[in-house]
Amino acid sequence: MTEIQIEPNSFEMVFFDAEKIANLASEVAQILELGDEQIKLRIDETSSMGRSKVESYEPIILAVDGGAFENTQRPRYLGETRTSETIARLLMRIIDRRSPGFANAPEDDLLDLPLRVAWDTYTAGRLNHLGLSTQKKRRQYQFRNRHGFSDAADEAFTFLWGSPNKLVWADIERISVGCRIALV
Amino acid sequence: MRKIFPAEELARDSRFVRQSNEDRMNDPRGARVGGSTGEKLSKLTPNLPNGPDRARALMHGIFVGEIQALEGAGRTCYDFETTTDVPFAMKLDMARQCWDEARHCEISVALAEHMGTEIGEFAENTLLYQAACNPDPVLRLTGVNRALEGLAIDVFNTMKEFGSIAGDPVLEFCEDWMLADEVTHVKMGSDWLRELTLNDKERLTKALEFQKVVDRLFSFNGFRGEDDENPIQLTRRFRELAGFSDEEIDDIAQMSREAAAETVH
Repeated sequence: MTEIQIEPNSFEMVFFDAEKIANLASEVAQILELGDEQIKLRIDETSSMGRSKVESYEPIILAVDGGAFENTQRPRYLGETRTSETIARLLMRIIDRRSPGFANAPEDDLLDLPLRVAWDTYTAGRLNHLGLSTQKKRRQYQFRNRHGFSDAADEAFTFLWGSPNKLVWADIERISVGCRIALV
Repeated sequence: MRKIFPAEELARDSRFVRQSNEDRMNDPRGARVGGSTGEKLSKLTPNLPNGPDRARALMHGIFVGEIQALEGAGRTCYDFETTTDVPFAMKLDMARQCWDEARHCEISVALAEHMGTEIGEFAENTLLYQAACNPDPVLRLTGVNRALEGLAIDVFNTMKEFGSIAGDPVLEFCEDWMLADEVTHVKMGSDWLRELTLNDKERLTKALEFQKVVDRLFSFNGFRGEDDENPIQLTRRFRELAGFSDEEIDDIAQMSREAAAETVH
């Protein structure tokens, strides 16, 4: 059973419910079969930006801006789908890094934008298979911005999006770099 | 049909969710436009990690803005009496603007789809339409066609550059086409302001003051200006083409700096 800790446990600037967030995180962890883990989730409610990152892999600490959990139709209110998707993407990154196929992946801070986006595409595609991510067109737009508005980039996106659990870091790097070489 | 139609009653289908001005301005994290907030503002470019998402949010803001601009120009055709309130030729210009804005709505829907945004994905604020409710046609024209359409020039040029840097020809060319129309709309505002206040200095002054109020509302947090931290860049060349004097452009740039400074302190 995954143990979730939300920090802070009450909010003043946004209308978030820590218990609700913990339940969503717990559901996501269960779907991703994370097992007996402790997850600390730090939320910066002062920020309406949408940044999110893994602050620590062991123990698991996730740090997110409040905006990453926000309902874009109702600012300051919790967007449940967005919250689940953000948490799932970060947890999937942790799961990937724990597998030998991703041992050579650069540290998060050293990942350049195209590589980060390519990895996110692979992640979002797998989450989509699990019913946790729906914004395929948004991901494609992000991918095109980093890899070119071209048929080659679109083919690469389709491949990454539709490759459930069979790629390793070297594949993602090769695909991302390949698109950028084609652009030159 | 009633005149001066209230913003609260604008027709929208169930996909649209409205955010009141009070909610927007009372957000303790800072009011925002186009997905950006008072913290760490920077020029909107694809090189920002969240650049594409900010552009998506801004594109949705442009889309609802186009709807409201269409509604505003349409109301101006209807709300005022021909000859006693405004000349027929001005209504004709507003009718032409409706045609442009309707086309912009369709282009914006296509662009939003291209960028992976759904209609109604972001909240809609009706501040733009509210500026188009002024009962004096001169003030309305100045607020909408000079302040808001002037802002549209800056927004479209910024988005056009975004598309150019990203290598996205769809965004770049669509924004360029809409930008050309906006320059025309602002020029209409400049020409009619001059024409309608030819012998009325007091009305001219009031209209320019109203324009400043609207400009200031849309400069909050330093959203628009000509410094690197302004997400939307003030576009001097196109504003000149649309009838703005250098002094007026300098004023807007200064207003933005002051708004940004107020946010920081």
